[in-house]
Amino acid sequence: MADVIIDESSFVRSAGRQLLVYGIVTVLGFALLMWLLDALASLVGSSSETTGAVDAATGTITLYLDEEPPQLDSTLATDQVSGRIIGHVMEGLLRKDELGNIVGGVAESWTIDADKAVFNLRAAARWSDGKPVTAHDFIFAWQRTLDPATASEYAFILYYIKNAEAINRGEMPPTALGVSAPDERTLVVELERPVLFFDKLVSFPTYYPVREDFFKATNGRYGADADTLLYNGPFVISSWVHGASLRMDRNESYWRRDEIRLNTINWAYITSDANAQLNFFKDGKVAYAGMAPESLSVALENRWHLRQFQDGGVFFIEFNHRPNRLTRNLHLRRALLLVNNSSELVNKVTKLPGYLPTNSLFPAFLDGLHDKFRREHPAKDVPIDVDQARRELELARKELGLEKWPPLSLLTGDNPIANLQSEYYQSVFKDKLGLDVRIDRQIFKQRLQKMTSGDFDMVMAGWGPDYEDLLTFGDFFASWNLNNRGRYDNPEYDALVRKAQASLDQAERVELFARMQDIIVDDAVILPNYEKGASFVTDPRLKGLVRRVVGADPDYTYAWIEESAQ
Amino acid sequence: MTNDIRLSSRDLEHIAQERVVETLSRPSLSYWQDAWIRLKGNRRALISLYIVIALLAFTLIGPLLWSVDPSVQDLDQISQPPGVDRRATLVAPHVPWHGGEAETAAVDGLRIVGAANSQAVRLAWDPIPGAVRGYRIYRNIFPIGPEKAYGLPLVMSIAGTWYEDLLDLKPRDYYYTVVGLDEHGVELPDAETIEVTLPRVITIDEARGRGLIAADATPQLGDPVTLALHPLGTDALGRDLLARLMHGARVSLFIGIVAPFLYVMIGVAYGAMAGFIGGRTDAVLMRFADFVVALPFLLFMILFKVMFGLGAGESGIVPMLIAMVILSWPATSRLVRGQILSIREEGYIGASRLLGAATPYLVMRHMIPNTMGVILVTLTFAVPSAIFTEAFLSFIGMGVAPPTPSWGSMCNEGIKTMLTTPHELLFPAILISITVLAFNLLGDGLRDALDARMRSRE
Repeated sequence: MADVIIDESSFVRSAGRQLLVYGIVTVLGFALLMWLLDALASLVGSSSETTGAVDAATGTITLYLDEEPPQLDSTLATDQVSGRIIGHVMEGLLRKDELGNIVGGVAESWTIDADKAVFNLRAAARWSDGKPVTAHDFIFAWQRTLDPATASEYAFILYYIKNAEAINRGEMPPTALGVSAPDERTLVVELERPVLFFDKLVSFPTYYPVREDFFKATNGRYGADADTLLYNGPFVISSWVHGASLRMDRNESYWRRDEIRLNTINWAYITSDANAQLNFFKDGKVAYAGMAPESLSVALENRWHLRQFQDGGVFFIEFNHRPNRLTRNLHLRRALLLVNNSSELVNKVTKLPGYLPTNSLFPAFLDGLHDKFRREHPAKDVPIDVDQARRELELARKELGLEKWPPLSLLTGDNPIANLQSEYYQSVFKDKLGLDVRIDRQIFKQRLQKMTSGDFDMVMAGWGPDYEDLLTFGDFFASWNLNNRGRYDNPEYDALVRKAQASLDQAERVELFARMQDIIVDDAVILPNYEKGASFVTDPRLKGLVRRVVGADPDYTYAWIEESAQ
Repeated sequence: MTNDIRLSSRDLEHIAQERVVETLSRPSLSYWQDAWIRLKGNRRALISLYIVIALLAFTLIGPLLWSVDPSVQDLDQISQPPGVDRRATLVAPHVPWHGGEAETAAVDGLRIVGAANSQAVRLAWDPIPGAVRGYRIYRNIFPIGPEKAYGLPLVMSIAGTWYEDLLDLKPRDYYYTVVGLDEHGVELPDAETIEVTLPRVITIDEARGRGLIAADATPQLGDPVTLALHPLGTDALGRDLLARLMHGARVSLFIGIVAPFLYVMIGVAYGAMAGFIGGRTDAVLMRFADFVVALPFLLFMILFKVMFGLGAGESGIVPMLIAMVILSWPATSRLVRGQILSIREEGYIGASRLLGAATPYLVMRHMIPNTMGVILVTLTFAVPSAIFTEAFLSFIGMGVAPPTPSWGSMCNEGIKTMLTTPHELLFPAILISITVLAFNLLGDGLRDALDARMRSRE
């Protein structure tokens, strides 16, 4: 027996030794393999990607894209990344300067009246192949957008043009659109109804021009590749490797080319991974990085110069007002509103700089008559009152004839912030009102689908402005607006929206919007949460970066490199 | 060569016959007693066994001793690591500030108005010359160095000369900086910085609501209170981590024990049938088992979730259990079939058959008991893999529904704040690791202990 034991221990020892040798060989082998692969990769990899974030000698900045744009046809684009790229390579009749003022783009001068707008195009405006931008290019783009066969999701933004809505519904041919070109450089737009902010509208990407002969030559591949797109903006796309990178060079045919100070914008990486974006910036590979919540502490430790930006989006919990839903009951909604504490949500749960607690549907940046709308007409504050909330809940229970409350569903996105917020609300409604909430986490597309089909009681939703006017938020709860996914339907509210749409008197409009704001609170249409902010860092040498609430954001067209700022 | 053997008469006497021909040098041991002795001799396995027992106690008895609700949110103690100072002072409820008293303070420059504490910090400053487009306010947790990184921008542009900060204030040092903006919105070169140390405070209502002071007591402002104890700290919503770990263990261990138990039973029945009947039936049954092995688990998990029509916020535990049972039995059935195949040919089976034993008797009396060791070992190895699967599925968000915790979902929540508050990830991760390791080592020890061939080694 003793022999056996000795044998065993020596066996174990030799086996252990062998294992150790194998281990060391494996580790060394892997190290060698990785080194070889790395060396191989650097041999094969293109040399352009080895430049840093900012190269003053060549006037190049390197950046990342969160996602690959699906396509770059301005008549179809809906997402933010497409908007950012299109905003750099195309130009509409009017554009925004670095301070956000509306200035001339392709149009040199313009007049907007109640029923008609006239744009005089500048002679210097050219396409990247050298041909002039004509009034016909706009007419073609707009007719194409409105053609039901195109199925453009943003066609509604053209509805201010005469007959646009009828064309989009297929009741009229696209040629019936109320636009005409007396000559190549004059564009006359007949308006369906008076609109006070048509100048802001025409700077929106859906209003950008498309040249007919080039479009037809692409055989339906317009905007799918770098060479199937014609540019009239500050930059041209010189290469677009799908899924990998996108490179922009200065457009030498652009009429304002001397004012564009960057030669090249190299979107060298496409990743939505916040960690990867952070590491690119840390390694000096990109000149800009958005900050995810968990990145902020890294930024503080590295002593980066953090910036912050209010992106204009308002977030709220939207109720389902469809007839068969419990949340159609006003007392239930009031009860929930009475325990809604957006300040606690922002300061204790979301915990991100730039997020502002709000009690209104309208964001703080929108203009009223003389000052900001929200300063002229602050929304009614609903103080937290748990006792009152419980009374309202009891009323609701009796009205609905319920024995006890079934669980309510709360539809949310599937991301860390949405998870925190939904669990916070779940706990608030449970603790204060005894209501059970079931959290329904869905990815964006799925959530949108559920919102459209009405498969929710409450949904954590948000709305970003399409143009800088109160109307883009005001008409959100109009009964005919398809984005009103809770199907809120209030004739009084609808009447206010119609009046505001038709009015040319800003004083009257502001009053109308103030009344809408009151209805939203009195009717407890939403639980307001916050106005969203975003934190970001930029390379200290990159100057003149413009953030925009509407349009290309971030906008690098006015940016330049300052080498001494290191 | 001499040959002188001398024998005495005594040598030729009869040797008295021994009464006992052979004695048992050791007590007679059954298979299980023997296995238990060998298991006791294996220190690793024994420690693992104690750990498993401790885990069961943690899960079943723990919540009785530590009766904190795992879904109660203590928003005063968010993301708190274990063992911080819990002393706080009672203050009046927060009233939003509208800049009053900003001008009355005697000090020049950037100053704190009123008492700065973890509820609110009120800043006021004198107008800075050249600040046409308002002021920008930053907050940092590090002292401001020569690189002028002022930290988090709390507000990018504010017109007045006062600001109230409420954002996620912790009892610690902060460095507030105010910078003026020139007519282009560019920061002026000079900035004013002020350092503030915040004491922890709580309002009387909150303290009462959280049961920190008795309902009938009449506390005074400024009285000290001790905040609720969180032995392992709290998560990002201020929920007690210890309570969440205990409740999370229920889910993890439930799946970890019930699922393997069910699928090992199915596997044993299926494998025994295939092995015993043999021939063509065996071939068909085992090809079906191969087919099941080839099915992708994750896909099935998702399909089951859809098939069950799980609505908003319903727990995915039952579909997870069913998916695991349906997809994991073939490994056991193969093992058992192999054992049965070899046992079937043993002599005692033939003898038993000759004596007229029926098939059920053969299976129940001879075959299953003889494969018990294999089955038990499979079971102990299946437990950690099931716990791990549950953790993985909860981690990717397919398991429990909030606010029910599970170790996997807690890891998922903790990983986002891994750099700032590592304890939120560490504790559940350590528990998963220890549990999986303990079950694995126990299984290892059991395999050694139950292996009949090892008996001769003693």
